[in-house]
Amino acid sequence: MNTLLEVKNLKVRYGNIEALHGISFDVKEGEIVTLIGANGAGKSTTLLSICRLPPPEAPRVIEGDILFKGRSILAVPPHKIVSELNMALVPEGRRIFGNLTVEENLRLATYARTDGHEAVHRDFDRVFTLFPRLGERKKQRSESLSGGEQQMLALGRALMSKCSFLMLDEPSMGLAPLLMYDMFRTLKELNAEGMTILLIEQNANLALRFAHRGYVLDTGEIVAQGPSEELLADPEVKKAYLGG
Amino acid sequence: MEFFQHVLNALQFGSFYALIALGYTLVYGVLRLINFAHGDIFMVGAYIAYFVAIMLLGADGVAAGAGLSPGLTLAITVPVTMILTSLVGVTLERTMYRPLRRKGADRLYVVITALMAGLILENGNLALLGASRKSFPELLQKVVWTFGGVSVTNLKVIVIVAAVVVFGLLQFIVTRTKIGMAMRGISYDKFAIPLMGIPLDTIIVFTFILGSSMAGLAGILFAMSYPILEPYMGALIGWKAFIAAVVGGIGDIRGAIVGGFLLGFIEIGVVAVFPSTLRDLFAFSVLLGILWLKPTGLFGVAKTTKI
Repeated sequence: MNTLLEVKNLKVRYGNIEALHGISFDVKEGEIVTLIGANGAGKSTTLLSICRLPPPEAPRVIEGDILFKGRSILAVPPHKIVSELNMALVPEGRRIFGNLTVEENLRLATYARTDGHEAVHRDFDRVFTLFPRLGERKKQRSESLSGGEQQMLALGRALMSKCSFLMLDEPSMGLAPLLMYDMFRTLKELNAEGMTILLIEQNANLALRFAHRGYVLDTGEIVAQGPSEELLADPEVKKAYLGG
Repeated sequence: MEFFQHVLNALQFGSFYALIALGYTLVYGVLRLINFAHGDIFMVGAYIAYFVAIMLLGADGVAAGAGLSPGLTLAITVPVTMILTSLVGVTLERTMYRPLRRKGADRLYVVITALMAGLILENGNLALLGASRKSFPELLQKVVWTFGGVSVTNLKVIVIVAAVVVFGLLQFIVTRTKIGMAMRGISYDKFAIPLMGIPLDTIIVFTFILGSSMAGLAGILFAMSYPILEPYMGALIGWKAFIAAVVGGIGDIRGAIVGGFLLGFIEIGVVAVFPSTLRDLFAFSVLLGILWLKPTGLFGVAKTTKI
C-alpha cells in the first residue's frame, strides 16, 4: 500500500509554547488510522498543522516535515490542501456556517471544484442518500439543526469537497451513543469505498475498535503505536486510555 | 407639488448615502471591520474621476488632454474611476488590514488603523494637491424635465437609478452567487472557509473591490452634482453614511439602502420645515432614537453566541 500522509519529526509551536515535540506517523492509502490521547495531548494541533490554516489560527511548524504523496505540503496554502490535494477536515465543534442553509453549506464546499455540474450533482445525491435527514432539511438554516444533524452536515460538506483523504476531529463529541455508532458505520462504509481516514478521538475504545492502526499521543509525544488489536490489548494503554 | 420636489431631493441625497453605506456594510459583514477610511475612499474616487475627466477632455489647463467629447469622457470616466478606486481600497486591505489580520490583532487596533488610513488619505491629498479646491468639469448636458410643477434633472434620475441598480446587483451577488455565499460564510466563521477549499484572502479582496468601486461611483456622481472637490469632502458624508448603515443594520445590504434613504428623507424633511442649520442636529437625534428603540438597526438581528 502506498503511503499517503507522512509526518516526520514534527515540532510545532503556539506562540511560545511547544505543543508537539517531534512526532512521526504515517497513513497509508485505504487505511483508517486513529490518534488517541487525553485532552491537550496535541491531537487537534496535529490536524491543524496538516491543514496549513493561515495565522493566527495555525500552529507554527518549527521543525520536521509533512509529506502528502511524497511531497512536502508545508508551503501549500490551506485552500489548496482541499482543492488540489483533496484532503478534508471535519473540524472539532463542526464549524458549519449557521447563517447558511443546509444546501448552501454543501454547495460552498464545491467552491473550488472544476469537475463539472454532473459530478457535483452526483455527490449531492450521494450525501442525501447517506444522510436523508439533510435532504429533508436542505432549505433550512443550518444553525437550526440538531447536534447530530450538524455533524452529518460537517461530514457531508467534506464529501462535497471531493476528498479522498478525510480527517475528523472528535466526530463523536456531543453525540448520543446511537448517533455515534451511525456516524462510525457511515465512516466504515466510506472507507470500504476507498476513503482514507485519519481520526482523532477521545473515546479511545471506540476509535481503536474502528481503526486499523493507532497512535497514542501524550503531551506532544507519541508514546505507543501499532495495529488496533495490539493497542487494545496493551496493558499500559488499557490502563491509561481505555478505563482499565 | 413642493412635497414631490422634496421627495426627489431626499432620494438623491439618500442615494449618495446608500452607495457609500453599502461599502461600509459589505466590509463589516465579511470582516467585522468598520472601515473608517471608506468615506475618504469616496473622496479619492471623486478626485480620480476629476483627473481622468480632465485628461480626457483636455480641460483645466491640461495641454495633453485627449480632447474627447463630454459624453464619451463620461462613459470612460465611470468605469476607469471605479477600477482605480477599487485599487485604492485593495491597497489599504493589502498594506494595512491584512498584516494585522495575519498577526491576529484585536479588532480595536484594526479600527484605529482604518481611522489613520482615512486621515492619511485626506492629508496625503492635501500635501500632494494643496488646499485649493478643484472644480469638476461638466460632463453631462443638463436636461430638466418638468411634470406639473415638479422639475427633475437627468443627473438626479441617474443618481437614483444608479443606487437602485447597484443595490439589486449586490443583493444578487451576495444571495445568489457562490462568491456571495462565501462572503456570508466568512461573516459567520472565518476559520472554516479555507477548509472548504476557498481562498480567504481572495474573497476579502473581492469584498473591498465591490465596496470601493461603489464609493468610486458615488464619488463621480457626487462630483457631477456638487462640482467642488476638497480633501475633506469625504469625512462628514462618510460618517453620515456609516451611521446610516448602522441604523439600517450594519452587515445587511438592505439595511444600507434603507438607512441611506432614511437619512436622506430626514435631512430634507427637517430642512423643509426648520432652518437648515438644524438639519444635522435633528437628523442624528432621530437616528439616535431609532437605535435606542432597536439597537441592532432596522434589519439587524442580535448576534447569538455560537458554541
